[in-house]
Amino acid sequence: MYTELHARSAFSFLEGASIPEELASACAEQGMGAMALLDRDGVYGAPRFYLAAKKVSMKAHIGVEVTSCAGWRYALLAETRAGYQNLCRLLTHMKLNAPKGKGSIATENVAGRTMGLICLTGGEEGPLTHALRQGGIDLGTQMVRQLCDLFGHENVYIELQRHFCREEETRNQAAIEIARKLSLPLLATNGVCHAIPHQREVLDVFTCIRNHRNLNSAGRLLARNSERHLKSPAEMERLFSDVPEAIANTQTLSSRLQFTLEDLGYEFPKYPVPDGKSAMQFLRERTYEGMIARYGSRIADNNKRIRKQIERELDLIEKLDLAGYFLIVWDIVRFCREHNILVQGRGSAANSAVCYALCITAVDPIGMDLLFERFLSEERGEWPDIDLDLPSGDQRERAIQYVYERYGKLGAAMTANVITYRGRSAAREIGKALCIEEETLNRLTGLVGAWEYKDANDTLARQFHDAGLDARHPLIRKFFDLCVMVQDLPRHLGQHSGGMVVCQGQLDSIVPLEPATMPGRVVVQWDKEDCTDMGIVKVDLLGLGMMAVLEDSLKIINRDYGQEIDLGRLPANDEAVYTALQKADTIGMFQIESRAQMACLPRLKPKCFYDIVVQVAIIRPGPIVGKMVHPYLKRRQGREAPNCLHPSLEPVLERTLGVPLFQEQLLRMAMIAAGFSGGEAEELRRAFGFKRSEARMKDVEVKLRRGMERNHIDPETQEKIVQSIVSFALYGFPESHAASFALLAYASAYLKCRYLPAFTAALLNNQPMGFYHPATIVKDAQRHGLKVRPIDVTRSDWLCKLERNGEGFALRLGLRYVKGLRETIADEIIRERARRSFRTIEDLKLRVSDLQKLELTALAEIGALNFVESSPKRFHRRDALWQVERAARNAGPLLDYAVVGFNPESVSDALAASGNSPLAPMTAEERLVADFRGTGMTVGPHPIAYHRHELQKQGIRSATELHSLADGTPVRIAGSVIARQRPGTAKGFVFLSLEDETGIANAIITPQLFERDHTVVVHHQFLVIEGKLQNQENVISVKAESVRPLDITQAETTSHDFH
Amino acid sequence: MAFASIYVPDFSIQAVVRAEPPLQYAQVRRALGTSEPVLRQQAIALIEGHPPLEKVVTMNQAAAQAGIALGMTKSQAKQFPSTAIRLRSYAQEQIAHAALLDLGWSVSPRVEDTAPDSIVIDLTGLAALFGSEEVIARLLLQRACDLGLFVHVAVSSNLEVALHAARGFPGIAVIPAGKESARLGPLPIQIFSPPVEVIETLDRWGVRACADLAKLPLLELSERLGQQGVRFHQWARGASVRSMILAEPQLRFEEEMALEYAIEELEPLTFLLARLLDQLCARLSARSMAASAIRLRFTLDTYSQGESMHAPQDSNTDAKKTYEKTFTLPVAMHDAKMLLKLLRLYLQSDPPAASIVHILIAADAAPPRMRQEGLFLPSAPDSAKLELTIARLANLVGKSNIGSPRLIDSHRPDAFEISRFAPARSTRGIENNIGFPAGREPVAAFRVFRPAARAKVSLRGGRPVHISFANMHGKVTVASGPWRTSGEWWREDAWDRQEWDIEIQRSPAANANAIENASAEPQKTVYRIFFDTLQQAWFVAGMYD
Repeated sequence: MYTELHARSAFSFLEGASIPEELASACAEQGMGAMALLDRDGVYGAPRFYLAAKKVSMKAHIGVEVTSCAGWRYALLAETRAGYQNLCRLLTHMKLNAPKGKGSIATENVAGRTMGLICLTGGEEGPLTHALRQGGIDLGTQMVRQLCDLFGHENVYIELQRHFCREEETRNQAAIEIARKLSLPLLATNGVCHAIPHQREVLDVFTCIRNHRNLNSAGRLLARNSERHLKSPAEMERLFSDVPEAIANTQTLSSRLQFTLEDLGYEFPKYPVPDGKSAMQFLRERTYEGMIARYGSRIADNNKRIRKQIERELDLIEKLDLAGYFLIVWDIVRFCREHNILVQGRGSAANSAVCYALCITAVDPIGMDLLFERFLSEERGEWPDIDLDLPSGDQRERAIQYVYERYGKLGAAMTANVITYRGRSAAREIGKALCIEEETLNRLTGLVGAWEYKDANDTLARQFHDAGLDARHPLIRKFFDLCVMVQDLPRHLGQHSGGMVVCQGQLDSIVPLEPATMPGRVVVQWDKEDCTDMGIVKVDLLGLGMMAVLEDSLKIINRDYGQEIDLGRLPANDEAVYTALQKADTIGMFQIESRAQMACLPRLKPKCFYDIVVQVAIIRPGPIVGKMVHPYLKRRQGREAPNCLHPSLEPVLERTLGVPLFQEQLLRMAMIAAGFSGGEAEELRRAFGFKRSEARMKDVEVKLRRGMERNHIDPETQEKIVQSIVSFALYGFPESHAASFALLAYASAYLKCRYLPAFTAALLNNQPMGFYHPATIVKDAQRHGLKVRPIDVTRSDWLCKLERNGEGFALRLGLRYVKGLRETIADEIIRERARRSFRTIEDLKLRVSDLQKLELTALAEIGALNFVESSPKRFHRRDALWQVERAARNAGPLLDYAVVGFNPESVSDALAASGNSPLAPMTAEERLVADFRGTGMTVGPHPIAYHRHELQKQGIRSATELHSLADGTPVRIAGSVIARQRPGTAKGFVFLSLEDETGIANAIITPQLFERDHTVVVHHQFLVIEGKLQNQENVISVKAESVRPLDITQAETTSHDFH
Repeated sequence: MAFASIYVPDFSIQAVVRAEPPLQYAQVRRALGTSEPVLRQQAIALIEGHPPLEKVVTMNQAAAQAGIALGMTKSQAKQFPSTAIRLRSYAQEQIAHAALLDLGWSVSPRVEDTAPDSIVIDLTGLAALFGSEEVIARLLLQRACDLGLFVHVAVSSNLEVALHAARGFPGIAVIPAGKESARLGPLPIQIFSPPVEVIETLDRWGVRACADLAKLPLLELSERLGQQGVRFHQWARGASVRSMILAEPQLRFEEEMALEYAIEELEPLTFLLARLLDQLCARLSARSMAASAIRLRFTLDTYSQGESMHAPQDSNTDAKKTYEKTFTLPVAMHDAKMLLKLLRLYLQSDPPAASIVHILIAADAAPPRMRQEGLFLPSAPDSAKLELTIARLANLVGKSNIGSPRLIDSHRPDAFEISRFAPARSTRGIENNIGFPAGREPVAAFRVFRPAARAKVSLRGGRPVHISFANMHGKVTVASGPWRTSGEWWREDAWDRQEWDIEIQRSPAANANAIENASAEPQKTVYRIFFDTLQQAWFVAGMYD
């Protein structure tokens, strides 16, 4: 019986065309009991291969094709765990000593790392072929002898591959001769590169991409035929009928290969505990310390309950031997707190009282009655998952570097992020390989990644027709087929944004390490999911833009207001916050600012913190798909009675009025209704989660029904319970996670309501983030009374900052918003300005000598230079532009002080023929155009404001006017489009947000109207929309009946489009 | 002193439209009852690029108003039924430009070839011949109309003013002396075709019309825009003075002939070509030049009756409409008889697909060959005669079958191409590094059958056992294979085949029984055969020697 022992997957990056799962399933279909995956220079696909093989009860042998310095590749198989560890170390050595993506290994580096490894002589890239080509059978024999010396005579197999090629067969005959001469076993393999013959096309395209060629110029680099697919044992036996031992040996070797990834030998690092205490003791101490600090006076009231919960958790932690893990996370959090880095645990960790006591999370799980089993359970046999949110940027980097320092270069690493071929990247590279010219390619790639929602007419032919291309053209057809085939194949290895893995001792013996593009970072060859699947514990250090905003806001408040704000001690029920939330006045607030959230807020009318938790969780695909939003809102408004499905479920569903909104509720429902244990309930959630499998779901459902039967729940209620669990499990939000996010949402709302200038400055300084463009944030702040001052080189810093404005503060826009201005130049401007103020533009140019003309022009055009020169007449933007044009021209050698060594100040004085220009000042429209072109926003009036009078004559209403109109009133609105959405859950409806000088109006475009006026809706920035006003519980929108472009300005405003 | 400038708006479009058959063009004009440009009433867009991916590169105002935009694809543009779509033609643009120059030279020998779409004519002394400046301008407009061009004519005593006014004002504009600045004032600065960065700077300054520019202080402008700015400023004020640059007669040798009746046979065509070549060679000789290449363009009579001449034509139709060939000569020559012989041979081997209604023959001029042969060098064939011989051979064996074979980098079996015969060049093929172990490279020579011979093959257990082809039958005694190759799956001529190397005992079909005849000595030959999986047929690729 034949076993395939040399296959490459797409994780050989451009040298294989099938994912490991495809290979494993093809193998199972062929009836093979085992298979070996040997990707090029890595074990990137090994976990997926291992798991896929496990599913089909197949043995997954692991190996690697390791590139040698001589240009060929060792084909190595891991026989034992020691062999696998040697392989990982070999690869780590190779990768860490070469630039990213490169590397090869010398024979002397292989020596000493060969124990437990089997060496095959390889196919076309193998050492034997290389030697035969170079020096015939003599050199071939010599090469095999060297391999025997290196790996041991019993560990070398002479590999034969047959792809119906004359030259290969000649080499095979030579190989057989050598094997006979040296008494080495023959081994048949097929050097598999793809699962099915048709995937050879993908392989050819990959060959082109790898060699920077196209299909027409790649010539003999392409495959000779399609024979590198996985062949059946019968086919292979037929093919090697003249050398049956080569087939028999595959079985023998397979049985020799004992190692699988099950036997990885991973150990979590031990936290260095002082004073000879055990880690558990130390954790208990820290937890109780934290418990007292956290619960303070409340501990007396709930002493028993809190202690009991903490004890229960600590016992489980001890039982699962996880003390070290908790201490390591605690240590990172402690580091952050000591260094004033905001940090907050998110996700299911917020269900743990221990995490709360250790200050890892900020939500009190006991107070909120959260379910610990969602976080950790004995049954699951997995590492707990703690994600830490940190301010994005430098602060997060400090935390990451701390982990590296603490656990050493080979003890900690970032998890990888496997970048796959998707959408445009796939289309572009395939197009190039097919020699499609650049412009057509742009058109074709433009088609990819269209709206989230696709209606029945969004066929490929239609899309191509819209783009002006003929889908019947064979080339374009082939292009599309290939795009579909490469979807989700790995393209290269990136770095995960925050996942870190740590290991006791040598991480490089568990998984090979590689350098990341970012200096000082090391990445493992597996992605986050693979690490979890392989039981490697990870800590996610995630960058969250809002954390950075909060941190910056606090700094600004401290600096400018002289107030110290502690986010942990914000007033709990601030009235201004809830008033803003109830009015959906939430632009800039975390998680509750989107159009969909705004449409829900006036209905939900949050009155307390828990309402925010619900609000964060309710606008999610789970509740929307599960049709739970409307029942909840109706019940909340008292229009429908709460119904908890079954009396026994009341304690669980009562607080969400009988509607399951959180994953925890789902678990509790299973626990109560069907008598599941916490762990079993979590298992149920996973069965219906992202990695759902039919068989697993069926099993769990049977178990669930059986349990409910036992509890005498009638079949009708059973059905309802099963339905709510099934539809919800996939997209649900854990309550703990929602609570963590709600804390941030509340904090952002509080800061916006109470410290608008500081919050707006911080928000603008951390863009891009959130739902809205800076232009919208500025306009919103202005409508709330904030004075926003324009960019001015005599005052602005790189970042936006606050300036005194009477009793309060005004916001000064920062130089970071000048398009095309480099930060280094801005810093130099600020330094020079601090030394002595600029007298003229000429003076500015001379003193900041690296300032380029484009930068100077950009500054002049937006009015940032208006205050540099003092002039009897008002100095306007065109005066500045006039001066800039001269200042920016290179001085001749006579006047170039840098050359002749003049004092710049005297030169500047000599040239300072400043003053006004013969140019007319810009009109309001010109200023608007310049503002949007130069900064993407304006601090002046909204473009619509200039035309309000004429618009009023046309019967066009402002956004605020709509609030006073009755439902069903025919209305006409106009504004700049700030967001376009076509959500997958909205059946083809398009939602537009139109901004005018008074606020934001929402419009709904029906699929029919969208079909008819597609171009107007998608491509015009200013629109007039006519339709019927819908005022449902203070949620205002206009159901559009017609839409037309509004031609009022040339200003290039931008919108946030989800398509 | 006065100058007239003639400007052809939408030059590329006009060049294409004027080349359309004059009869119908006149009919259209008559139908419209106007001598006004048809162009102005017809929305036209020009496309360029390779089918099916052509895009709009220019369009007239009517097309722009209809909704056509630059960069649209042909199929997008076709969604505007009122707009005629044409393929851009550089050749027609050259001819239109030549016609524009002819227009100038028709009234004065002093003509400046300013741009493809603009010329300037010195009108000095022409009043006595033609009348006032306005009359001359009208005459030019009329003659341009007869040449199929609709132009703007501007007259001014200042050359630059005339040039810019022609770009800015439609029809005729006669600008009196002293009024230059005032007349140019409202025109946009784009008439000066300034560089993009200057346009951007001026736009930022709010300077958009000539009058705005003229108002700026010159010295300060020069500090900012340099000499370029000064020049635009002078232009805007109508104060720029420069001399006329007279157009040099070009080294352009073209002869053409429109035929009243379509020619279908080579003999009468040869007669006409001889006449044209005589004239061409005489002109070349007079300028001490010779032809390094001859370009032939025949307009073919492929129209079917009733088909609209103004219907948009795709490129394929266009390609069929003309027959264009360029014959590059190994040495420049001006021997009309030799050239005629060559052309005859070329045309015999590659005749036009339809009868000819128009002939254009052009010569690329080059200095004649002046060569001193070395006294002790072996005599090489005369290049002109060698070319003639190659042309004769090409005529006999087909153009694609003469030259030097060159291997192509491809797995496609027997892939090679024929490149032009060049005895001096190395014709070494690409390196054959295909992976035979050193010392085990194949030793047998292989004789390729071109084309491969179709065969009948009997199989047993998937292996060939008997073959018959080209009157040969044989039993396969040894078969090695299959060897599989396939490729170029992205093209229509993809291949996929399974090869076998077989040894057969064969005998001629006429003597088929000989195989069974034990007394006869069977002949053993090794062949390469293959099964073409796309055609589902067997072939013999060749035999091993």
